[in-house]
Amino acid sequence: MGRQLMMEANDLAVRYPNGDIALHDVNFSIDSPSFTAIIGPNGSGKSTLVKTVLGLLKPAKGFVKLHGYDSVREKNRIRKIVRYVPQRDHIELNVPMKVKDIVLMGRLLKKPPPRFSTSKDRNAVIAALKQVDMDDLWERPFPELSGGQRQRVLVARALASDGSVLMLDEPLAGTDSHSQDLIVEALGTYHRENDVDIVMVTHDLNPIHSYVKDVLLMKNTVVGIGTPCDIMDLDMMKHVYGPTARIVEHSGHRYCITKDSGFDRHD
Amino acid sequence: MIDLLMLILDSPFLQRALVGAFLIAIVASSSGTFLVFRGLSFMTSGAAHAALGGAALGFYLQATGIAPWFDPVIGALLFAVLVSVVTGYAGESGIAEKMEVAVGVSFAFSMSFAVFLMYYIPSQDVLRIWAYLVGDILLLTDFDIISLAATTVILVFIMILFGKEFIYVSVDMEGSIAHGMNARAYHYLMLIISALAIALATKAVGAILVYAIMVAPAAASNEVLRSVRSVILAVFCIALLSELAGISLSFIIRVSPSAVAGVIASLSYIAGLYVKRARQHVGLDELEKELEKHQPSLTPSMPPSNHHHSH
Repeated sequence: MGRQLMMEANDLAVRYPNGDIALHDVNFSIDSPSFTAIIGPNGSGKSTLVKTVLGLLKPAKGFVKLHGYDSVREKNRIRKIVRYVPQRDHIELNVPMKVKDIVLMGRLLKKPPPRFSTSKDRNAVIAALKQVDMDDLWERPFPELSGGQRQRVLVARALASDGSVLMLDEPLAGTDSHSQDLIVEALGTYHRENDVDIVMVTHDLNPIHSYVKDVLLMKNTVVGIGTPCDIMDLDMMKHVYGPTARIVEHSGHRYCITKDSGFDRHD
Repeated sequence: MIDLLMLILDSPFLQRALVGAFLIAIVASSSGTFLVFRGLSFMTSGAAHAALGGAALGFYLQATGIAPWFDPVIGALLFAVLVSVVTGYAGESGIAEKMEVAVGVSFAFSMSFAVFLMYYIPSQDVLRIWAYLVGDILLLTDFDIISLAATTVILVFIMILFGKEFIYVSVDMEGSIAHGMNARAYHYLMLIISALAIALATKAVGAILVYAIMVAPAAASNEVLRSVRSVILAVFCIALLSELAGISLSFIIRVSPSAVAGVIASLSYIAGLYVKRARQHVGLDELEKELEKHQPSLTPSMPPSNHHHSH
């Protein structure tokens, strides 16, 4: 039995809708099961990579595959196995949808119309909301929640859904430390207890460093790939975050201090 | 009461007006609500005015004998659907600003086109074109009612069948696609069926009233209410009451029922904003009270504790 690839890219190049090059010469492969963090500064093509994997953007060159499925030819297959959490500000707050309905969406989107919810669906929703400590607010309209609470609900939507790969785009952006801890803990536990891959785009490796198996360091191409230990390399950090990046050792931990994202702690 | 019933039974135009008011309230509570959710309320206005341009084309083609079979209603439906598709195309990426611009441009084009054609249309038909702008609910024909009723039934059927999908497209287009839903198809389905209903409602009661009834109650309810279902229900009630108020008032004093209905519907939005603001004030007051509750609990506790220490 050969190793199973979670994600692989070959000579991948992607353009932004305005024609600028977002990604070029992207080559990598990551084994399954994995908890992968995609890190890099603003505009480094992290979200673009995820959107390309989901078939939301088309490669200008090369290909990217998820569990062996090509992002263009087999995007329907990919969308069956993926549970996606978009960036929080991509969620329209003009609709007074309740928290439970947002989470239920994760399950019902995987069904064909008329997408009726069963008691199994509702139980999954409550279980997922409990994991991020939002079950008390399940009747609350989603737009009335704080930023961190909204992010927790979106993570719960992914946890409640079905599919072997969770893809989260900046799920920790703009969250308070309480929400951040809850989200990281919930994802870490979920990865440990279930046979799922998690791919997470993030600014800051610090909160998730102990859960992550593979790190993809991006700056419009793959600058580095490896374990969190491998990535904490001064030359690589300077290349990505600029000359101000520093690796600091303190009490047996290594920290990366960058202008872009504060610091990434690392054991 | 019996007098009123007799009056309604005796006057077919009043019966048609009441049925029309009911149907338009349904269109408002389904299409209007979803377009407000989608951030596309302006499309109502675009489609309604496009219907006017399309109708003008129909009158022109009939009057000149170029295409006698081209009924103005066909033109109205065609133009309204065209505007909705252009809007939908501009907004596929989910960017509301682009959709607003697309609607604005189509709006300007249809109105200019209508006015352009008016120079070549017999004057009695020009009046019928203006009816698309400021219609009268008391002048509905049987054809208006039947076509509007048929579209409303289809609209309600589709909304019940795909309501979840329309909400998902409005809330999270990107996530819906990534989870395997054909969001683009639902996006266009909702816009096209709404455009058909808007065009027929425009023929019945005029673009200005359609815009007022379709947008203001939905926007008002969305400011105040906290669930999708309650918004839909409230829009139906506000729309129906505005229209009934317009019809009733037109029997007592000399006013246009459409104008009264439009004014009341528009005022509902202002009322909605007022309620929202009042509610926010109440929220602040409660917060202050809560803070006050906490603060005294700190200050009075000091002297006893001091007292305790001194012993």
